[in-house]
Amino acid sequence: MNRSISWMKYMALAAVLVMVLSGCGAAGGSTNGAAQASGGDQAGQAEGGNLTFALATSPDTLDPHRSGLAVTVRAIRTIYDNLVVQLPDGSIKPWLATEWSVSEDGKSYTFKLREGVKFHDGTPFNAEAVKYNLDRVIDPATKAANSLALIRPYSSSEVIDEYTIKVNLESPSQAFLGNLSQALLGIISPTAAQKYGDQLGKNPVGTGPYTFVKWDENADIVVAKNKDYNWGPETVENKAAPHVDTITFKIVPEEATRIGSVQSGQVLAAETVPPQNIAALKNDPNQQLLQANTVGLPYTLFFNLRKAPWDDVKVRQAVQSAVDVESIVKTLYLGNYERAWSALSPGILGYDASLEGSINPDINKANQLLDEQGWVKGADGIRAKDGQKLTLRYVDGSPNREKRNDIAAIIQQQLKQVGIAVEVEITKDVATVIYQNWDYDLYGNSQVNSDPNALYAFYHTSAEGQRPTLSGLSDPKIDELLEQGAVESDADKRVEIYNQIQQYLIEQAVILPIYVFPYTVAASKKVEGIKFDSLGYPLFNDARIQP
Amino acid sequence: MVHTILSRLATSLLVIFGASVLVYCIMYLLPGDPVLLMLDPSSATPEMIENLRVQLGLDQPFYIQFANYFGDMLRGDFGKSMINSDPVLPKILEHFPATLALTALSSIIAITIGITLGVLSAIHRNGVIDFVARLVGLFGISMPTFWTGILLILLFSVQLSWFPAMGSDGFSSLVLPAATLGLVGAGFIVRMVRNSMLEVINEPFIVALRAKGLSERAIMYGHALRNALIPAVTVIGMLIGDLLAGTVVVETVFSRQGIGRIIADALMAKDLPVVQGVVFFTSIIYVVLNLLVDISYSYIDPRVRRAVRT
Repeated sequence: MNRSISWMKYMALAAVLVMVLSGCGAAGGSTNGAAQASGGDQAGQAEGGNLTFALATSPDTLDPHRSGLAVTVRAIRTIYDNLVVQLPDGSIKPWLATEWSVSEDGKSYTFKLREGVKFHDGTPFNAEAVKYNLDRVIDPATKAANSLALIRPYSSSEVIDEYTIKVNLESPSQAFLGNLSQALLGIISPTAAQKYGDQLGKNPVGTGPYTFVKWDENADIVVAKNKDYNWGPETVENKAAPHVDTITFKIVPEEATRIGSVQSGQVLAAETVPPQNIAALKNDPNQQLLQANTVGLPYTLFFNLRKAPWDDVKVRQAVQSAVDVESIVKTLYLGNYERAWSALSPGILGYDASLEGSINPDINKANQLLDEQGWVKGADGIRAKDGQKLTLRYVDGSPNREKRNDIAAIIQQQLKQVGIAVEVEITKDVATVIYQNWDYDLYGNSQVNSDPNALYAFYHTSAEGQRPTLSGLSDPKIDELLEQGAVESDADKRVEIYNQIQQYLIEQAVILPIYVFPYTVAASKKVEGIKFDSLGYPLFNDARIQP
Repeated sequence: MVHTILSRLATSLLVIFGASVLVYCIMYLLPGDPVLLMLDPSSATPEMIENLRVQLGLDQPFYIQFANYFGDMLRGDFGKSMINSDPVLPKILEHFPATLALTALSSIIAITIGITLGVLSAIHRNGVIDFVARLVGLFGISMPTFWTGILLILLFSVQLSWFPAMGSDGFSSLVLPAATLGLVGAGFIVRMVRNSMLEVINEPFIVALRAKGLSERAIMYGHALRNALIPAVTVIGMLIGDLLAGTVVVETVFSRQGIGRIIADALMAKDLPVVQGVVFFTSIIYVVLNLLVDISYSYIDPRVRRAVRT
């Protein structure tokens, strides 16, 4: 009986679908998804073609200086170049600047610029253009976003001659040169910036390997090959004009649709593959999976040290011992994400590999620590002290990005075992809850960055009137180390300084590092040569589409 | 008739104004600071935040902000997006045709399937067609649009490669989203039409017609259906409004352009001028739709026409 009913259901479903389609099948049949993807008949030896690449979210603006989103970088990397480039080993190499020298006091940099470079609108690239760019970032009228944090402590620049510029800093910074390699400090055309004003983000003009064609909001961004290009950085093989004619970045926020469109051949590549789809894509004979770990701060949970009892190191250590990070990462990401061990992610200068394997779950230790601190288990299994229950307010942003809501749920279960009640609050409005009201005990964040100096903004005591850091850590010893790390020019000493900081953060249980985010791209096997830069952003200079 | 339409127009203006005020208040009272959402919270300084607040006029008291806003809107200036400084009205006008096409095709699908199945199932009550129709009704009403959309993508894009999974290029990319919304609408219409047909079929005048010797076909399609359609038209009118609202989900699932997508993004970013603009615009459409439904009654049912005249 049951079987016959379910059979009828299928029949009914099929009947409905046939009816729906019979009305419109004829028109639909003429356009085949696979035919669209290859974009025109580009025979020949893997030159030309249109590379379609599905993005998970829409860029906010294509003005690098005003953008605050990582997704923007995937698109603007193709349009803009930077003064320098950073290799995966952390070393800085020439790009639009051919050489440079640093003054004795470390406060000024003199760059020699590449000659014969032109912006897409024909404006010549020279020292004036660079000065315009750097000054633009710090001009409040620009409303610069993340680029402003990257350019600090920049103060001014002087044009020495057509192709020489001297850049002055307020204080020495070892991170400055590396930051100049980041796409958000990409060099824009001064002519275009003056012409378009705050609409530059819709009319981007740079010197990069691709020129901007169009941006249909919520649909796609199209860039085309810059035929004159011949100044590619060391991170790519092809220094000249790209092999493909155009790249179309399609904006596809819905996960299932994004993966569906690459499986059906409607797009050639799609970013941010959810872990549950990775296995299936690996077994798909037509697809390949490209992965690059992002560099900077891994996804880390920060204790709010300003609130009791989390100002007590023993209580934090109890949580540290009670949370089984290994099983969280394995359960949620099915072996596709790496577990994080430190405040920095592997691959960045100064990463302390000795921390790997240092913290392991130990329920007995957790219980013992809490007992010692006078937190006694009540009848409901929750610990209390002086009539106060041991509760932890865990705040997470919505939606469930990278399954971060699920991490909260698992930690809630794990901490229950040692008598800590976890209240999970999922909110879209982290700006108010976290950054304005500081109403949390545990909150997670991550950051893409190329220099360990990124730690400064998270762990240095915040100055009077400045917004406090996520952890609220205030330790003169760490402040001093962070200040030294920012200016130390001896690489070995720098590594030593950052090792000390990372060890302190784990020993004192200021944070719980959770996972290193891999940037994952599913691509058709027809696509070759998509590379990733030192931060894990895709590069399309070498990309080819096999016919 | 003209008098009715004019008085309906006057109330319509009131409805549109009310909707605007309501949305403005809700957006104002919602937690979350648009300035903090616009700037990167980890790097913006308090000074930057304050400057931006003053620039956007958000430091003014509520009533001044509202008066400024409404005054501008009456002059046809819907303001600029807080996020990317795009002027709001051209943005809506640019994206509206895509949403209109989606709503139109899904309405056609919903009405065609809905009325056909509804009528057939009432005529062949308890038969196979009736069973199928009731199943479609249940399916359309209970399946979340989101889920239906993904199922259609898996079947018709990934497995069969008949239609693109996403995008807004041409008619073929319109088919799956319209089918998704259309199925939901069809579910409602099937149930409505079936019920009202069954009621009408059992009324005495049908018996009278049979007695006069009219063919069964003429009775069903010439007389019963016409009477059964009046409640259905009301439902269809409201349904088109629902389909318009449904585009928010469907445009996101299928990565289509349209005003549904715009308002979804604007709500996330708390982009007040854009949300206001879209609400203002769509409330006008709702009102016009309702007006059309009212007028269409009088064409289907002579009794309404007569009532208006007296």
